[in-house]
Amino acid sequence: MLRYVTLKVGRALFVVWAAFTLTFVLLFVLPVNPVDLLFDPAEINTIPPEVRKQVAENYGFDDPVIVQYLDRLGHALTGDFGNSVQSGRPVTAAILDVLPSTLVLASGALVLALLIAFVIALVATSTRHAWVRNLVEALPSGSVSVPVFLSGILILQIFSFRLSWFPAFGGEGARSLVLPLITLAIPVSGPIAQLLVRSFATEFHSGYVTTSWAKGATRGGIIIRDVFRNASLPAFTIAGITFGNLIAGSVITETVFARKGIGRMTQIAINTLDVPLVQGVVVLVAVSFALINLIVDLIYPLLDPRLRATLAISIPQAATGGLR
Amino acid sequence: MSDLRSSIENASPSRNKWPLVAGIAAVAVALIAVVGFTVARGDSADRAAGGGEPVRGGTLEFALLDYQRSPDPQLGSNYAESIVTNNIGDKLVWQDPKTGEITPWLAESWEYNNELTEFTFHLRKDVTFSDGTPFNAEAVKANYDQFIRGDEKLEILPNGARLFPGYIGTDTPDDHTAVITFEKPLASTLQAASITSNQQPVFLSLSTLKLSAKERTDPKKVIGTGPFVYESWEEQVKTVLVRRKGYNWSPPAIGHRGEAYLDKVVFNTIPEASVRTGSLESGTIDATLDVGTTDEKPLATQGFKVNYRGVSGTAIRFDFNVSLFPTNDIAVRRAIQRGWDREAIKKTVLTDSYSVATSILDPSVPGYADYGDSVLKYDPEEARRLLEAAGWIEGPDGIRVKDGRKLVVKLLGISNLVVNKPAYESIQQDLKKIGIDLQLTVVPIPDWTAQRAKAQTDWNVTAANSSRNDPSVINLTYGPLLGNSSWLKKGTPEYDKALDVLGKIETTLDPAKRGEYAKAAQDLVLDELALTNPVYNPSQVIAQAGYVHGIIFDAQSRNNFVDTWKSNGR
Repeated sequence: MLRYVTLKVGRALFVVWAAFTLTFVLLFVLPVNPVDLLFDPAEINTIPPEVRKQVAENYGFDDPVIVQYLDRLGHALTGDFGNSVQSGRPVTAAILDVLPSTLVLASGALVLALLIAFVIALVATSTRHAWVRNLVEALPSGSVSVPVFLSGILILQIFSFRLSWFPAFGGEGARSLVLPLITLAIPVSGPIAQLLVRSFATEFHSGYVTTSWAKGATRGGIIIRDVFRNASLPAFTIAGITFGNLIAGSVITETVFARKGIGRMTQIAINTLDVPLVQGVVVLVAVSFALINLIVDLIYPLLDPRLRATLAISIPQAATGGLR
Repeated sequence: MSDLRSSIENASPSRNKWPLVAGIAAVAVALIAVVGFTVARGDSADRAAGGGEPVRGGTLEFALLDYQRSPDPQLGSNYAESIVTNNIGDKLVWQDPKTGEITPWLAESWEYNNELTEFTFHLRKDVTFSDGTPFNAEAVKANYDQFIRGDEKLEILPNGARLFPGYIGTDTPDDHTAVITFEKPLASTLQAASITSNQQPVFLSLSTLKLSAKERTDPKKVIGTGPFVYESWEEQVKTVLVRRKGYNWSPPAIGHRGEAYLDKVVFNTIPEASVRTGSLESGTIDATLDVGTTDEKPLATQGFKVNYRGVSGTAIRFDFNVSLFPTNDIAVRRAIQRGWDREAIKKTVLTDSYSVATSILDPSVPGYADYGDSVLKYDPEEARRLLEAAGWIEGPDGIRVKDGRKLVVKLLGISNLVVNKPAYESIQQDLKKIGIDLQLTVVPIPDWTAQRAKAQTDWNVTAANSSRNDPSVINLTYGPLLGNSSWLKKGTPEYDKALDVLGKIETTLDPAKRGEYAKAAQDLVLDELALTNPVYNPSQVIAQAGYVHGIIFDAQSRNNFVDTWKSNGR
C-alpha cells in the first residue's frame, strides 16, 4: 500500500515539475523578445536601447537561459513566480486574488452538472418509454456540442437583456452567479451524464438486480437502492476530465459574463504573452490536476472493495515476481 | 452476457439517432431564444433625449473592452487605463481637440528658449492633490524625474523615456516655476506634456511616488489632482471613481467650472461585444466604448447617440520596407499607393465614424495636408504605367515578373481592429488586377510584435498606426534614428534626407514654420520616397443613451468625464 501511495505521489510531483519546465521551454522558444511586449507595439522601434536594457535587467531577461530557469524554479518552490509583466503585481497574489471567484463558479457548476447528469441517468434508466430514453440520452452529446460561447450569449439574451431576471456582467451578489453557473454546468455535465447513463444501464442488467427482482423489489426501489450506489462510482474516474472541462469552460464563461477569474486571466495572460503569469497559472492547473488524480487514485480503493482486494493481491505478486 | 449483448444492440440504433435528436434539440433552443427575443423586445423605455441645463449627481455606468492592469496611472498602456487616468489626474497643459493648440491647464503659462532645449512652466497656485498636499514645482520635478528615468528600487519602469528623449532634469527656481531641460531641441515637449494616451505624464502626490510598483496596486494610495478619485479597483472587473470635492482646475479651454457633475463613474470591463451592446440596450449601462462597426447602425436606429472621434496620429498605414525586394523598387511602392479603390473600402468596410486616409496624418493633427487628389488617389492606369516603366512584365498568372522574380509583397498586419482585415483584403483584390500579389498575414498583437522583430528581413509591409496628436509623429515613426519603420539604410541618400527633413519638425514651435516642415515631411514620406501607403483613419466610437451628455473626446481621443451629466441625475 505504501509503495502504491509513493508511486502515485511521485507521479504527481513529476507532472507538476514537467509542466513548469515545459512552459518555461515553450515560452523561451517563442519567437519573441519578452522586453518587446512591455511597450506599445507600434512604437517599439522608438524605445531607446538603454531603456530596453534597463527593463531587461529589471525582469532578469538578460541572464543566460539556464540561470533564469534555475532562478525561477527555485523561487517557484517557495511559491514565488515573479511579477506579472503587465501589472507588476506578484503572480501569486494576482492568482490568489481571482482564484476564489473561479472556485465558487467551478464548484457550483460541478454540483449543478452532477445534478443534471444524475437526473439524466435516472430518467434514462427508469423510463419505460423508448422515445423518452432516446431523447434524454441525446442530451449529453447535445450539451457538449453547443459551444459554451453560444449558449452563454443565448442565455444572456433571454434571461438578462430581455427578461432582466439576472445581471449580464460582473460578480456581485448570488444572482450574478446563476447564469454563469448554468452556462458552465451544461458542457461539464455532458461526459458525466454519458458515463452514468452507460454505467446505470450496465448495473441495471447485472446479476444482483435480477436477484432483487426475484425478491420482489420494485423498479424504483432497485434503481435507488441497488443501481444508484454501484453505478455512481465510475463518475469519480473522470474527475480529471471534468476538471479539464471546468477550466476550459471557465475561460469562456468568465469572458462572456465579464467575471474575474483564473480562466479569464489565463486568456489575457496568453494574449499578452505575460510569461510569469502564464507559468503561474499552468503550474496551478498542473498541481490541481495532479492532486485530483492523486486523490481519486488514493480514495478509489477505499470506496470500491474489489479494487482494494486486487491491490492487496497484486503487491505480493509483484514482490514474488522475480522468483518465478 | 446476453444482457450485455442486448444493451449493446439497444445502444447502437439509439446512438445513430443522437445527431438527429441533438439537432432537433438545438433547433428548439434556438426557437425558444428567438421567441424570447421578440416577445421581450419593443419596450424602449425612457430614452428621451434633451439637452438643457446640466444636472448634478448620478452615476455613469460606462462599459469598455479592456481593464486597468494596475491603478498606477503612469504605467497605463491601454484605453481603459488612459481613460481612467485622465479622470483622476491632470497634466501641465491641455491640447485643444479641435485646433490642436496647446492651452493652459496646471501650468498657466510657459515659455521656452530659442534652441527649444529649455521649457519653463508657470504653475497654478491653487491646485492640491486629493490628500490635501499642494501641487507645486517640487511635485513636477519629482514626477518628471521618476516618469522619465524610472526607479529600479521601486520597480518603476522608465515609462516616459520615449516621450522625452534627452531629458536632463527639472529645476525649481521657485515654488511655482518648473524648468525642464533637454540635451537637444525637442519641439514636441509641450504636446508631450499634454499627452492623455498611453503612459502619460500625469501628476501623482509625493507620497504616491515613494510607493513601489507593488504598493501602487492599492488604488486608495494612488493620489492625483483630478476631478475624480479612486474608490475601488477590481482587476478584470471594474474601476470605480467618485467626485473629488473642491476640484476647480479643469482646463479653461473646456469651459467647465468647479467639480465634476457626476457623483460617480463606474468603468465596467465587458470583453464580449454583444454583451456590451446588450447591456446598453437593456439599460444596465449608460454608455459604452469599443462599439464595433457592425453595431453602430443598429444602435443608432434604436435611438442611441453614436459619438466618435478619429484617433489623432498617423492613419492605419502600410509601411514599406525599402531594403527588401520588391518594395526596394520605388515604382512598386508608388503603384501600391495608386492601385486600390478608396471608394470600395469606404462603401463596403468603413462606417461614417471612420474615414479613408488622405495623408499619413489624421486630419485633426496640426500640419495635416491633403494628398487625396494626388499621390493617394485611385489611378490603376498610372499604377500599371509605373510598373511597366520599371520593367515589371505581366506573367502567365497575371502577376508581374522582373528578372525572373515575381511581384509578391508580404504584409504583416494586426487584427485588433475589426476593420483591418476586410480593408486589406479589398486592397489585395485591387492590387491583383494590376499584377501585384499582396500576401496578407493579419494576426493578434503579440504575434505581430513577435514578427515585427524580424520585419527588416522578412516583411515587405508592416501595417500599424501610431497615436499622437502632433506632426512630430512622422519623425517618431520614420525618423531613421527613431522608429525607422521603412528601414532606411545608413549611408544612402534617402537616409540622410529623411534624417534632415523629418528631424526639422523638432526644431521649431513657430506655427508657420512648423506647418512648412510638416508639409515637407509628408511630401517626403508619401511622394518623394514613397515610404508608406496610408489606408484609413481609425476612430474611437462610443454609443450612449440619450440622457447622457458632455462626454469629452480629448486630443488623443480619450474620454474625460468632468463635464459629463445625466438628464435624470441618477
